[in-house]
Amino acid sequence: MSKIDTQIIQQQAVAPHQIPLIEFKGVSKTYLSGTNALTDINIKINKGEFVFVVGASGAGKSTFMKLIMREEKPNTGDIIVNGYHLHTMSRKQVPMLRRTMGIVFQDFRLIPTLNVFDNVAFAMHVVGAGSREIRKRVSNALNMVGLGHKARSMPSQLSGGEQQRVGLARALVNKPNLIIADEPTGNVDPNMSYEIVELLTEINRRGTTVLMVTHEHQLVRDFAQRVIMIEKGRIIADNSDGGLI
Amino acid sequence: MKLRSFKHLLGGGLKNIWANKLMSVASVGILIACMSIIGLAYILTENVNKTLGEIEQQNVVMVYFNDINSVRYGGAEKLSTGSNISAASDSSTAVSSTGAESSVDSSTTNVVDPNEISDEDYLIHTEQEALALCEKIRSVPNVASAEFVSSEAGLEKIKQNMLSEQSEYFSFLDGDNPLSCGAKVTMTDLSLFDETLANIQAIDGVDTIQSQGDIAAKITSIKNGVQIAAWWIIGILFIISLVIVSNTIRVTMYNRKLEISIMKAVGATDWYIRIPFLVEGVTLGLVSALFTTGLLYFIYQAVVGTMKNALSISQVIPYSNFAWLLFGIFAVIGVVSGFLSSLVIIGKYLRKEGSEFRAI
Ligand SMILES: Nc1ncnc2c1ncn2[C@@H]1O[C@H](COP(=O)(O)OP(=O)(O)O)[C@@H](O)[C@H]1O
Ligand SMILES: [Mg+2]
Repeated sequence: MSKIDTQIIQQQAVAPHQIPLIEFKGVSKTYLSGTNALTDINIKINKGEFVFVVGASGAGKSTFMKLIMREEKPNTGDIIVNGYHLHTMSRKQVPMLRRTMGIVFQDFRLIPTLNVFDNVAFAMHVVGAGSREIRKRVSNALNMVGLGHKARSMPSQLSGGEQQRVGLARALVNKPNLIIADEPTGNVDPNMSYEIVELLTEINRRGTTVLMVTHEHQLVRDFAQRVIMIEKGRIIADNSDGGLI
Repeated sequence: MKLRSFKHLLGGGLKNIWANKLMSVASVGILIACMSIIGLAYILTENVNKTLGEIEQQNVVMVYFNDINSVRYGGAEKLSTGSNISAASDSSTAVSSTGAESSVDSSTTNVVDPNEISDEDYLIHTEQEALALCEKIRSVPNVASAEFVSSEAGLEKIKQNMLSEQSEYFSFLDGDNPLSCGAKVTMTDLSLFDETLANIQAIDGVDTIQSQGDIAAKITSIKNGVQIAAWWIIGILFIISLVIVSNTIRVTMYNRKLEISIMKAVGATDWYIRIPFLVEGVTLGLVSALFTTGLLYFIYQAVVGTMKNALSISQVIPYSNFAWLLFGIFAVIGVVSGFLSSLVIIGKYLRKEGSEFRAI
């Protein structure tokens, strides 16, 4: 940890916007089934970036995201996320890593028996927040995604787009510095997708790094951001240097 | 873990029970059944032990002392060997239905003229000496009591135990009392019967011992049998309790897999995920313990009636003597089975990650 801290401070002194929040060094992942999902991935994602991850189905996009969340472990290579060395960290530290990130799911994963407010509060209870802070921050997060007026609604009463905005509020409420979203618009109407990405862009503008998987090319084109393209487990394009796909 | 988190999780565990009502009620029901049987096994064991204890207390060993009568009526061979203390190896364990019979026998066959006996031929001359010997017997390990019985009291007792016509037979004694004085001895633990008898026999001044060693052996074996059966019942039902609670927890786990996958994603520690399950398991166990303790009161009252007649038990132990202990036992069973099973079940799933978890 302290090594990373000094590393971060040194780099900050040089270029504050160039701090790698995520770093993959020679990462490969083969599932137990023998499927080779990712091969020799080398990439840096800096603090404050907005990154689209694109590629065909089965290319390895979700695997890439799971490695960052440490849902999966690489077979070879090192991954550093938010100062955590994922290859050496213990199982006990995983919750702490997860608290530095907000995860948005394609299937929303709202608890159907809890109303909108409680679904967002759920994430704060998990990290042991006090009820006053929960009330304040949940309201803020819901206002941020434009659902302050629906706090008492049940998830089933919301449209797909609204449900995903609740999911977004839940990911944001613990103030993570990284948002991970694997196809967050996959179950949302196309016009609603736009809103979701706009929200993510706004969140990014406020300083949070955003990593989003999508296969909606229109979105990628409209929000001109960094795009990492994965094909058959390899990164075949990355416009981080400003190049276009 | 912060206190407010803990309160939150406590509530979570109770909510699980409510959300899983049917399963919870079913498992509490089965737990109550298991605990009731365990409790009954325990209560029966205690009552059997108590009854056997009473029988033990009645299983008196009569130790006769080496006094003048023992020489006078004890047989010629004692005199001829000049030994003051009889080895009496066979009579110590031999069952003689009454002390009188043998005494009557010996009195008719081997009466020695009192004038031929000198003071050196026997050890107990006075009541003081006899009482001192009683004291010695009391100091033998496992001897519960040793009560002095004078020869007159001994004869009186024998007569009392007979029908009046039979006691007529004693008229021929014509005031002469052939019985030696001695001590009525009881033991604490009948399983040590033989060793204790041998220790008493070894004391100077002890002549013969009359006892019912086979009853002692039977009581000991019944006690052991009941004890072993009770442990088996408790063991088997404890395992059943474990299985029941773990199944309930498994169902809750399954119902809550969505929540658990979210918890893991937002950085819940393993303990945060475990605690509601532990609360659920332990609560099911405690609730069952409470109900069973109450229920057993009624079962016990019903069983007591039948038991009294069937086993001709004079007096059963009142339920209030057990209530706290039983609740303690049930609570331990409930808490341990709830704790263990939820720990094991949730432990199996904690290693899984989000998407795997969703696929269960
Ligand atoms: N848990 C798993 N076990 C085995 N194979 C898997 C698993 N998850 C994904 N795969 C395989 O790995 C490859 C990449 O999958 P994934 O990362 O989900 O791709 P994408 O998200 O780009 O569609 C696919 O061939 C997929 O079948
Ligand atoms: Mg995918």
